[in-house]
Amino acid sequence: MSSLLLGILWGVAGVLVIAGGAVIGVWWERKVAGHIQLRYGPQQIGPAGSLQMLADVPKLLFKEDIVPSGADRPLFKWAPLMAFAPVAAAMAVIPFAAGWAPFDTSVGVLFFLAVPSLEVVAILVAAWAQRNSYAAIGGLRAASQMIAYEVPRTLAVAPLVLLAGSLRPTEVVAAWRWWWLPLLAIAFVVYLIASIAEMNRGPFDLPEAESELVAGYFADYSGMRWAIFMMAEYGAVITASLFAAATFLGAGWPFSGALGVVALVVKTSVLVTIVMWTKWTLPRVRQDQLLRFCWVVLVPATLVQLAIVGVVLPWM
Amino acid sequence: MDVKRDRPVVPASVSDGPTGDGLVAGARSIAKGFAYTARAGVSKPLTVRYPKEKLTVSPRWRGPLALRGVLGRDEIPLLRAPSYAYNETIDGLYRADRLPPCVGSCPANVDARGQAYLIADDRVVEAYELVRDRNILPGVLGRICHHPCESACKRNFFDEPIAIRPLHRFAFEEYRKVRHERISPFPRTQGKSVCIVGSGPSGLAAAYDLLKLGYRVVMYERERKPGGALNTGVPAYRLPREVLYEEIDDIVGLGLELNTGVEVGKDVTLPSLMREHDAVLLAVGLQQSRILPIPGTDAEGVVGALEFLWSANFKHEAGVRGKRVLVIGGGNVAVDVARCALRVGASEVRLACLESESEMPCHPWEIAEALDEGVIAMCSLGPEEVLTKHDTVVGMRMRSCLSVFDEMGRFAPKFGDETTDVPTDVVVFAIGQAPKIDTIVAGTELLVSGRGQLVVDGTLFTTSVPGVFACGEIVTGPGSAIGSIATGHEAAVSIHRYLQGLPLDGDRVARPVPVYQKHAPADTRGIESNRRRAVMPMADPEERAKDFRQVELGLTRQEATAEAMRCLRCESEVCVGCTFCARTCPDYAIKVERVDEAGARCLTRYDLDLTKCCFCGLCAEQCPTKALHHTGQYELSFWHRDLMVFDKGEMLRPPTGTRATGRDGISPPGCPVPRREDG
Repeated sequence: MSSLLLGILWGVAGVLVIAGGAVIGVWWERKVAGHIQLRYGPQQIGPAGSLQMLADVPKLLFKEDIVPSGADRPLFKWAPLMAFAPVAAAMAVIPFAAGWAPFDTSVGVLFFLAVPSLEVVAILVAAWAQRNSYAAIGGLRAASQMIAYEVPRTLAVAPLVLLAGSLRPTEVVAAWRWWWLPLLAIAFVVYLIASIAEMNRGPFDLPEAESELVAGYFADYSGMRWAIFMMAEYGAVITASLFAAATFLGAGWPFSGALGVVALVVKTSVLVTIVMWTKWTLPRVRQDQLLRFCWVVLVPATLVQLAIVGVVLPWM
Repeated sequence: MDVKRDRPVVPASVSDGPTGDGLVAGARSIAKGFAYTARAGVSKPLTVRYPKEKLTVSPRWRGPLALRGVLGRDEIPLLRAPSYAYNETIDGLYRADRLPPCVGSCPANVDARGQAYLIADDRVVEAYELVRDRNILPGVLGRICHHPCESACKRNFFDEPIAIRPLHRFAFEEYRKVRHERISPFPRTQGKSVCIVGSGPSGLAAAYDLLKLGYRVVMYERERKPGGALNTGVPAYRLPREVLYEEIDDIVGLGLELNTGVEVGKDVTLPSLMREHDAVLLAVGLQQSRILPIPGTDAEGVVGALEFLWSANFKHEAGVRGKRVLVIGGGNVAVDVARCALRVGASEVRLACLESESEMPCHPWEIAEALDEGVIAMCSLGPEEVLTKHDTVVGMRMRSCLSVFDEMGRFAPKFGDETTDVPTDVVVFAIGQAPKIDTIVAGTELLVSGRGQLVVDGTLFTTSVPGVFACGEIVTGPGSAIGSIATGHEAAVSIHRYLQGLPLDGDRVARPVPVYQKHAPADTRGIESNRRRAVMPMADPEERAKDFRQVELGLTRQEATAEAMRCLRCESEVCVGCTFCARTCPDYAIKVERVDEAGARCLTRYDLDLTKCCFCGLCAEQCPTKALHHTGQYELSFWHRDLMVFDKGEMLRPPTGTRATGRDGISPPGCPVPRREDG
């Protein structure tokens, strides 16, 4: 009973962290995008427009909740939550500090890789429920892209597990040494690229290509349901960046304790900024380019990385 | 099964990556992109920082706006979307001013539009009767009216106004051929009788209306012949008397009991008439000329305009043969006097007026015709003194006039110092007329003001005695014939209400807006259309100034029908095919095709290309007929577009036909179609 209550508490905490992260993330993305495009971005509300989202969130909350007449109503209504839940769940296994994660399990890394990939189901459900051709195309693109990029992403994490000798994230953090950084550079880059594809963000935003599919798999969503999709996307950005910062970049290293948490947050922020920077730099790739890049570049690169780690580890 | 197994082939022009050649080049290209965006991200934005705007709310703000109790109105319902009621309101606004300008500016609201339609449709006699309903003497007014209708005519904006007045005359000339068949007395349905004193235009108008309502109407006239000022005052060269007498005969034929040569106050008394009849209408007009109180006016050779015109009209002799005549005054009567003086043999006619040339109160065409005939106009001169020798006029001393009106536009002449002596033998004062009613009102309780004027209510035309009414120039002062006719119509309404025991004002609508039939397009087959106004042929100025022949010679039938066809039929809501909309359109969105044939004034095609239309509304703005008008659906949605296009198609539909076709069901309206067989 108490563990259930604790779970609910952690769930609420996770949702709040992701929601807050999304609010800050949207503001930060607008600033980054603005400056990259030689604009200011939001600047009217709060210092440097930082309270803009406090105005936007009530606006979204008060918007009409439109369900298209041809839609599959129950699926249409539940799909956004189905997309959000795996992202929130992934939050649970992230090692925020050496030896501490909200839900410290021996298969944490596997959990982190497996659970968020359930999102593809939610996206397919959403795409199907709208009875909209654009949404359907978006959903199919999302399915092929997300399943394909599971492979390099998982392969990129495998060297870490090999080095740490454990699937428990806290143990990975504990085993981390600074020289892992150059050693796992290829894996880190591949992980980052594959994560961007998993998040459906530019340049891999084919499922929601606005100029082609008018937002793709959530074309017919509006108001708060649309916002939940966006929150799931930002949640994915945050969790993927947090995980990378914790495992590839050594969590709180070189500090420990409270300063370590600050270092983790800074590292995560830098990674989030890089993800945004990528989106506003590179144009959208084509479907065939996307898949060829996955199988011809990323998967071989991770296999090379795996081989390097496989050779170096026995030598150590 | 034959399955096609072609792989989709990427065209050669489509590269694999940004550079298309290799991983390293691609990576370098991507790195370059990142470097570029990073540089942009840290450099200063190029856009302008918006000024901070504080959200301020006025201290007087009291929640959402509402209009309540303004000008006695209740709360106005908020319109969320163009509802049916809203569309109706907009529609109503456009229909509210549905009066054609000619009808609206005519004091008697004569249906000039209907006249033009009926003449073009070859129903001239009907046109005459339509006009006579409001303008009881179309033949007379067709010669002498100052035609405010033509000044207001919408064709003024395009070329020249419709010749409405000459068309009245033409209609009369056609009508007089069949007038004996068309006249039958109105049935007398009311048991009451009305007495009208004076047979001028206003009295005749009231008589016509009362006869139509079924009353017995008895009219008394002092002169031997009826017509009032039309008979005694208007020069015969403008109005042949037989026209006047014929039209009055028609009214007599409708049931009017006309007694001429009977002077009320001498032969019969007003109190006895009041006893004899249920109501009395005084339409006596202005009988005496005003003469200025300046030295020398009692000398021989000084006459008033009315007396001069009377003797010129009836005796063709005013005692001025071979003499020099000076007319004082700048109005229409003064010009009439001057032109008459020429015709009765004056050796030299001068016209002196206070006003400058541009301010002269007479109509410009009148003075122009007078100058053609040899009248000498002397402007900006005020009469100072009549110079006499042995009690006979030898000249007139005139003082220069600097200005006539003050800044407020009131009559306040300012005179200069220099004077001029004009040698002359006869001085005619044409400076206005005054009523002379002391003998008429003797023995009654009618109130007369200190200046000898009858006290009359200007809107109800009642006097101080119940049952006695007044109309015409005695109420309005010197004015136009058509203005007098308008007061006659109003007075008839008052008398009718009085006799029926209804309150005189109450629910009465003063000068009600007439609603005339809009008529389908006229059958104008075979009429050669003309864009220019028909020119009224005039007698030669040298010749006409010698006698009282008519100056205006009248339009031919061909000219008249072509002229009637020029009418744009304003506010009729039936397209006349003028194509002004297509010519106005700034985007060339309207495409029209017309039949290129004599008399074929119709559209065979009307296209509105909504992809070009900018919705400026200029086409509807200038459409004279209002066949094209804004609706409440003034939005760019497809449903409304359909509605608009349908509206335009609908406008080709005459009220009598079906859809967008004409009488024969095939051609659009107004096109040459077989002439209708009327029984």
